[in-house]
Amino acid sequence: MKNSVFKAIMFLLMAGSLAIVGGCKKARPSADLYGSDNLYGDPLMGDIPLIDPVGLPAEGNRELFSPVYFAYDSSQVNLEEADKCEKVAQYLKRGKGNGVIVEGHADERGSREYNLALGERRALAVRDYLISLGVDPATIQTKSYGEEMPADMGHDEAAWRKNRRSVFAIY
Amino acid sequence: MMKKLTLLLGICLVVSSAQPQRVIDVAKKGEGKIAINLGSYRAWNDATSRTFMSVLKADLNRSGYFKVTASGGQISVAGTFKTENSMQADVQVYNVATRARLLGKTYKGAGNSASTLAHKVADEILYAVTGKKGMASGKIALVGNRTGSKELYVCDMDGNNLKQVTSDRSIVVGPCWAPDGKAVTYTSYKRGYPNVFMTGRSKPLSDLGGLNASGTISPDGRSMAVILSKNGNPELYIKNLRTGLLTRMTRTRNGNEASPCWSPDGNHIAYVSDTSGRPQIYIIARNGGRPVRLTSSGTENVSPDWGKNGLIAFCSRIGGRYRIAIANPTAKSMRVLETEWADYEDPSWAPDGRHIVCSRTTKHRSSIYLLDTLKDSPVALISGSGDWFSPACSP
Repeated sequence: MKNSVFKAIMFLLMAGSLAIVGGCKKARPSADLYGSDNLYGDPLMGDIPLIDPVGLPAEGNRELFSPVYFAYDSSQVNLEEADKCEKVAQYLKRGKGNGVIVEGHADERGSREYNLALGERRALAVRDYLISLGVDPATIQTKSYGEEMPADMGHDEAAWRKNRRSVFAIY
Repeated sequence: MMKKLTLLLGICLVVSSAQPQRVIDVAKKGEGKIAINLGSYRAWNDATSRTFMSVLKADLNRSGYFKVTASGGQISVAGTFKTENSMQADVQVYNVATRARLLGKTYKGAGNSASTLAHKVADEILYAVTGKKGMASGKIALVGNRTGSKELYVCDMDGNNLKQVTSDRSIVVGPCWAPDGKAVTYTSYKRGYPNVFMTGRSKPLSDLGGLNASGTISPDGRSMAVILSKNGNPELYIKNLRTGLLTRMTRTRNGNEASPCWSPDGNHIAYVSDTSGRPQIYIIARNGGRPVRLTSSGTENVSPDWGKNGLIAFCSRIGGRYRIAIANPTAKSMRVLETEWADYEDPSWAPDGRHIVCSRTTKHRSSIYLLDTLKDSPVALISGSGDWFSPACSP
C-alpha cells in the first residue's frame, strides 16, 4: 500500500517533469498529461516525431524485460506497470544496449485495423514514458503488431490480459 | 454542417439517378425473383462446357435477382457455347411475354477460362434484364493463414479460383483495391516494420517511422489515405502519390484513427476514431475541416466501407457480438442486417452495390461470407483450411 502511494507520487513527479520537457515548445494544459483525470483516451506527448527506421534493426532481444500490460481498450501505462519501464530506462541510460523496439499488441477483440492503431498507441505510451525518464528518443522505435501476434492463443479474459501488452525488444 | 450534408446528398442523388429503368422492375425488397430459363441454351457435354453452364447458373442464382428455372420463366436465354479452338458463347436473351430481345451478343474467351467467361455472361444478362451492375466478374482480396503466415490471396466473387498473391512469410493486414481494380494495397511486415505496399511494386507506398497502415487509394488514383504515427500518435493523413506530400487530417492526441475509406466522389473520407472513448465512425471532408460523427449507437462501430451506392457498410458491436450495419450518411439513418448468432466483421460492398462480403467468426474460426442486403440468406464463399479474413471486393 505504502509502496503504491510512493509510486503514485513518483509518477506525478514524472508527469511533472514531462510537462517541463514538453513545455519548451509551448505551455500545455495539465489535462494533456499522464495521471490527469481526463475522461477519455490516454493523452500522449504526441509531438516528438519518430525517427525513420531505415537501417535500424527490426528485431531485438525480448527476453531481457517483462512486458507492460494494459487494461481493455486502453493505452495508459498503469502505476503497477511503470517500474518495468523504469528498469528499461535505467538499462538504456547506462549504455547497456543501443536501443529498444517497443512492440505494441492488442487482444483479438475489435477490428484488426483499429487494433493496429491501438497497439501503436500502447507502444507510443511506453516510449513517451521512457523519454520522460531521460531516454534519448532516437534510441526508441515503435512497432505495432495489433492483434496479429498474441502471446496466448486462448480466447478468454485470462488470455486477452496477457495479449494487451508492450514488449521491449532490446538491440 | 449544412453545406456538408448537401454535398453528401448530392452524391446519393447522382448514384441513384444513374440506374436506367429496364424492362423488368425488381421489387425493392428482393422479393419476386425473375424466373430465368436456360433450357434453350445449347452446350456440349465436355468438362469445359459443363463448367461454363454450372458457373453461369450459380452466378445468376447468386445475383439475388434471378431464379434459374427448368420450365416456364419470364426470361429465356438461348444460344450456344462452343469449345473448339477457343471458347465462344453466343447469347440471346428474350422477354418471354413480349418476345422482345434484350441481349444478342457473342463472347469469346481463352481456352482455360470457362468460369471467367461465365461470370462475364452472367453480369451481361443481369444488366440487359434489370439495368443493374452485377458482381459475378468481381474479385475478392483477402488474408488467409493456411501456410502458417498471413498471406494475401485473391479469388473470384464465388470464392473459387483462389490464388496466393504474397509469399513473404510475414503478416498481411487490411487489403484494399486500387480504384482501377488492377492492384491491391495492404500493410505488411516483410521489411520488419508495418509498411504500406501495393501489389506489383516492390517499393513501399509508405515506410515512415512508426505505424504505416490502412493505405487506401482515392477514386481519382492520385492520393492515398493512410494512418501514420510518425509524429508521435496514430493520425489520418492524405499522401499525394505524385509529389509524396503529406497532409495531416486529424489532430487527436487523445485518440486513435484507423480504417479510412473514400466516398465515391472522393470528396470525403469515413474513418474510425476513438476520441469519444470508444471507436466510432466519423466523416471528414477531403479538404479538411471539422469531422462529423456518423455513428452513435452500439458500443463500437468500426471498419467502414463507403459503397458506390452512397451507403456506408460497417461493423457494429451490438449486444456483445459484431454485426454488419449500413448507414445512409445523407439521411443519417442506419439499419443492421439480420444474421444468426456469429460475429460478422470487415464488410466490403460487392461491385453490384447490393451484396456485402464479410468475415464470419464462430467458435474462433473465421471464414468469408456473402450477405444480401435485401433478402437472401448468407452464403459461405470460403471456409476451412485455416482462417480467412479481411475480404475486400474489387470495384
